[in-house]
Amino acid sequence: MIRVQDLTLGFGGEPILENIDLEVKAGQFVSLIGPSGSGKTSILRAVTALLRPQSGRVERDVELNQIGFLFQDDALLPWRTARQNVSLGLRIRGMAVRQAEAKAEQWLALLDLEGFGERYPRQLSGGQRKRVAIAQVLALEPRLLLMDEPFASLDAIVRTRITQELLSWVEREHLTVLLVTHDLEEAISVSDVVYVLSQGPRARIQARHEVHIARPRNVLETRRHPVFGPLLRRLWDELSGEAVQVDYAL
Amino acid sequence: MKRWLANRTLRRSVALLALLALWEACSQIGWLNPFYAPPPSAVAKVLYSIFADGEIWPHLEATFSAAIIGLIAGLVLGIVLGFAAALVPLLAELLEPVMMLLNAIPRVILAPLFVIWLGIDLASKVALALILVAVLIFFAVYSGIKEVDARLVERVRTLGGGRRVLIREVYVPSVTAWVMGTLKVAVGFAFTGAVVGEFVASSRGLGYLLQFAQSTYNASLTIALILLIMAFVLVLFALSERLERRLLRWRYM
Repeated sequence: MIRVQDLTLGFGGEPILENIDLEVKAGQFVSLIGPSGSGKTSILRAVTALLRPQSGRVERDVELNQIGFLFQDDALLPWRTARQNVSLGLRIRGMAVRQAEAKAEQWLALLDLEGFGERYPRQLSGGQRKRVAIAQVLALEPRLLLMDEPFASLDAIVRTRITQELLSWVEREHLTVLLVTHDLEEAISVSDVVYVLSQGPRARIQARHEVHIARPRNVLETRRHPVFGPLLRRLWDELSGEAVQVDYAL
Repeated sequence: MKRWLANRTLRRSVALLALLALWEACSQIGWLNPFYAPPPSAVAKVLYSIFADGEIWPHLEATFSAAIIGLIAGLVLGIVLGFAAALVPLLAELLEPVMMLLNAIPRVILAPLFVIWLGIDLASKVALALILVAVLIFFAVYSGIKEVDARLVERVRTLGGGRRVLIREVYVPSVTAWVMGTLKVAVGFAFTGAVVGEFVASSRGLGYLLQFAQSTYNASLTIALILLIMAFVLVLFALSERLERRLLRWRYM
C-alpha cells in the first residue's frame, strides 16, 4: 500500500531524515514514534506529496483523493458549520450540495453529533470538533488514513473513547493507517507494526516491532495483554536511549 | 438611583445632557463668548433652520454621494488589488511600494491635484475618498491573504481542493473578516475624503458649507455642520457593525 524507500527529507540544509525505509501493507495499522523534531510529520507530508523528498521514493497504490489526513489540530473552517465542514470534501469531489450535506448529517450522527450540524466550530468542545474532523475525513471513504497525533490535545477520557471509535471503524472497514504519535501506549494498543525513529537531524528508522495482539481490539484491554508490557519497555528503552544521547550532546 | 447607574447608555446620555446644560449655562451667564463658543441652543436653532428651509439637502446629497461612491469604489479597488498582489508575486512587487508610499503620506494632500485633474465637481471628491479607502482596504486584503491560517490551507488541499476552492473556502472568508474589521475606519475615511475635497474646492457639500462658515466666522453653523457629519458617520458605523455581525455571524455566536 505504501512503500517508502531510502527517503531523505529536508528543507534545504541538513536533512531532517535520511535513508528511511518503511512499509505499510494493505489493511495494516502502522505507527511511527520518535522524539520531537525527528521528522515524523514530514514523512506523512511526503506520502501525501505535500513535501518533496531530497532523494528516495514514496510508492503508494492509492490516488491522492483516496487518502484521508487527520491533523493534530482539527483545522475546521471557523466560518462553516459542522455540517458544511463535513460536506466540504464531498462537494470538492463534485457531489451536489444537498446530497453532500445529507451524507454529512449521517456521518455526524454516526459520531454522536446528531443535532450539532448547524453549530460553528467555536460552539463545539475540543472533543466534538475532533469528531467533526474525523467525520470530514471518513465521509470521503478513504482507503488510506494518515493521522498526525490527531488526539494529542484531548483529555484522557475523551481521547480513549474517540481512539476506540476510530479503531473499531478502521477494523470494520479494513482501512490502511499510518499514525504518527508520541504516545507509546497508544501506538502499541492500535498498531500491527510500530516503527521507531531516532533523534534528528538525520533521523533514521532505528527499530521495527510487530504487535501480535489479535483484532478486534479494545484499547484499554490491550494494555493487559502479555505482549503489551515488554514491548512498551522496549520502546521506552529505545526512545529514552535517544533522549540520553541528546542530553549528552547538549 | 442605582438602577440607572447600571445602564451604560443612560449614564452616557445623562453625562452628555449635563455637559450641554453646563455649556448653555456658561454661555447664558456670560462666561463663554458666543462668537467663539455659541451655546447649544444657538447651534440647535441653526440646525433646525438649515433643515427647515431645505438649504442643507443639496449639500448633504453632494457629500453623501461622494462618500458612498468613493467608499464602494475604494472597497472594490482595494479588494481587487489586494487579491491580485497576494496571488501574483510580480504584481505585488509593483504595487506594494506604491501603496506603501500612498499609505505613508497624508493622502488628503492629493486633493488639490484631483481638483486640477478632475475639476471642482463630484469626481474629484470621489477620487479622494476612493484613494483614502482603497489603500486601507488593499493592506487589509493583502495582509489578510498573507496571514491566512496555513493549517486551513493544508486542510483544504488534503481534502482535494485546488486554487479555486482555496480562494472560495479559505481566502475570501478570511479576507472578509479582515475587511469587515476595517470597514468602520473606511467609512470614516470616505467621509474625510469627501469633506476635505469639498473644503479645498467645490460649490456644494458639507465641506463647502464648512468652508463658507469658517470664512464668515459663523461658529454656530460650523459646530452644527460638525455635529451633522458626526451624526451621519455614527449612523453609518452602526450599519457597518450590523453588516459585520451578519457576515461574520460565526464569530458572534
